[in-house]
Amino acid sequence: MGSLISPFSRMIKMRKNLILYFTLGFPDQGTLESFSRRISQDEVDYVEFGFPSGNPVYDGPKIRGTHKTAMSNYRPEDGEKLFRDLLGKGIKLYSLTYYRDIRDDGGKFLSYLKREGFSGIIVPDLLVDYSDSAFSAIGRIHEAGLDFIPFFNPSTPDRIIKEISSKTGSWIYYGLQPSTGINVPFDTGEVAERINELVPGREINFGFGIRNNDQVRELVSYGASGVAIGTALIEMLSSGDEEAFYSYLKEMRGVLDGK
Amino acid sequence: MITSQAEDVIPDSWYNIVPDLPEQLAPPRDNTEDFSSIELLNRIIPKEVLRQEFTFKKFQKIPEEVAEAYRQIGRPTPLVRARNLEKFLGYKGKIFFKYEGATVTGSHKINTAIPQAYYAAQEGVNGIVTETGAGQWGTATALASSLYGMPSKVFMVGISYRQKPLRKKIMGIYGAQVFASPSSETKFGREMLGKDPDHPGSLGIAISEAVEYALENDYRYLLGSVMNSVLTHQSIIGLETKKQLEVLGEYPDALIGCVGGGSNFGGFTYPFIPDSREIDMIASTASEVPKFGKGEFKYDLLDTAGILPSMKMYSLGADFVPPPIYAGGLRYHAAAPSLSLLMQKGKIKHDEADEPAVKDALRVFSKTQGIVAAPESGHAIASAIKYAKESSNSGKTIVLNVSGHGLLDLSIFKDD
Ligand SMILES: Cc1ncc(COP(=O)(O)O)c(C=O)c1O
Repeated sequence: MGSLISPFSRMIKMRKNLILYFTLGFPDQGTLESFSRRISQDEVDYVEFGFPSGNPVYDGPKIRGTHKTAMSNYRPEDGEKLFRDLLGKGIKLYSLTYYRDIRDDGGKFLSYLKREGFSGIIVPDLLVDYSDSAFSAIGRIHEAGLDFIPFFNPSTPDRIIKEISSKTGSWIYYGLQPSTGINVPFDTGEVAERINELVPGREINFGFGIRNNDQVRELVSYGASGVAIGTALIEMLSSGDEEAFYSYLKEMRGVLDGK
Repeated sequence: MITSQAEDVIPDSWYNIVPDLPEQLAPPRDNTEDFSSIELLNRIIPKEVLRQEFTFKKFQKIPEEVAEAYRQIGRPTPLVRARNLEKFLGYKGKIFFKYEGATVTGSHKINTAIPQAYYAAQEGVNGIVTETGAGQWGTATALASSLYGMPSKVFMVGISYRQKPLRKKIMGIYGAQVFASPSSETKFGREMLGKDPDHPGSLGIAISEAVEYALENDYRYLLGSVMNSVLTHQSIIGLETKKQLEVLGEYPDALIGCVGGGSNFGGFTYPFIPDSREIDMIASTASEVPKFGKGEFKYDLLDTAGILPSMKMYSLGADFVPPPIYAGGLRYHAAAPSLSLLMQKGKIKHDEADEPAVKDALRVFSKTQGIVAAPESGHAIASAIKYAKESSNSGKTIVLNVSGHGLLDLSIFKDD
């Protein structure tokens, strides 16, 4: 079950999180392995993996495109190699998975994640399309020994934010945009301030549509615990530009450290 | 002190229901795999409107210029105790109506046209384009565009264009150029005309044409209903009503309004929802367009061409071609996502009225209160009369929203 968080957790955890998102199988195993070799705790805290989905409805066109490639590319043994590599370096792993893809598998996927060393799971469609089964799904995730990472966005009602947050002690993923890699105007700072007010003292990482360093600085100044980057990595992955990826990580770590 | 002075009745901020909904609103979805129609909104609607569309904020400050424009076009609108109607029905309770027909353009539509045009003008765009069914929305858009010095184009559903020449006239007087839709102005329109040169048109088609026009000409498209931002602007109706009732020491047992896309209804009722008090909220639709009765709660297109993203809402299907009822504003195939969600959760009830019943209700309201209401509003009146006649509702306080006047829709009575 979710543990109670200590009121000092925010003070203890001063470093801001850099979270990376990859779709397994995109663009190919070789590129993912070479990128993975560049990842270390010096810059990165968590890695989120998207398992290939036939219908990633709440992803933007770019990440939808990665799923298309991934559907035909991905082999579980490839993923498992990446998981071992990253876990060995002390990076925590999370899965970003659509509930519609796992709800009828009798818990197989959740046990698989646990076996593979994942810390938790983010389920972006749960509160939207399966709100009636939210509590039971959270229960199943906890029973499997995984953290349930609540996924909220600006349309999540205040009451739901409080209620769902109280069911888990884990960090919270806040999506700034209606889907990944989309850019519609929003109130960066105020959004961070408000979610911090609703669930004070919680680790809140922001994602979905983060584009530039100024946004990251602003989020951090309003109390964000970290940021998740996904769409911005796709071009580097497509061109296999490992060096660009590495300097991006260094740059982002600098921004998060307030440099 | 509570007063009924204009400056005390017009609120400082609009109210956005989204953070107070019982469940998370389903996000919009793209219609094709490799393209984001959500992101395309950046080029279609004014930036500030788009920000308000996805904001978490419950209250949105009304800019001072907009508040002044509201006063100029007749806000606050009156809230009237319908004593003659009460007497006519022998009703033991109280019936009030909020009268949006008292605005200069004759309906609630101006409440959102003004801020949208204001934000567009601040961005410095080439002009404004929109669609209109019955003509009310086009009229409001035409005036709002002129108020901020921008040209406007209106795609009017073909059948209404032919049925309502006066509507076209008034839009022209306000400064708009009006096209019968489907038109030869857009690719989509030409495609439709190719299939049927006498195509009657539909709101879905007219929206498609307007959006295409906006993209081709760097115009901004104004949203007439359905979207969160529009319902937020329309909350001025309910916020004023609440204040006006408070001055009278009243609180509603029932709120009744008509639903096309849901903007006058949502704007009227939502400000009462955070009170968490027992109120019957009744959304009246046309029996001929039974979106709640026969529609499905699902992701569906907003426009027939599918340029705009899909939304989860009660819908009869984007290709639904409604029968040619007079209440053109109620012929839209779907209802606002927030209203659809509240309906599905049972927080809001619905009723239906058909055209004969609506004509009767319009007559009763004209003879008792002296107001010839819009055919759309006739549905609210018909549902309110039905509600008042139920013995279990005796003695209640009913408040209904009369969304517009029907002085340009008198042809509804032409056969009598
Ligand atoms: C007078 C009037 N009432 C109601 C409507 C229905 O729209 P909505 O449901 O968005 O208020 C219209 C739309 O054209 C209208 O003109």
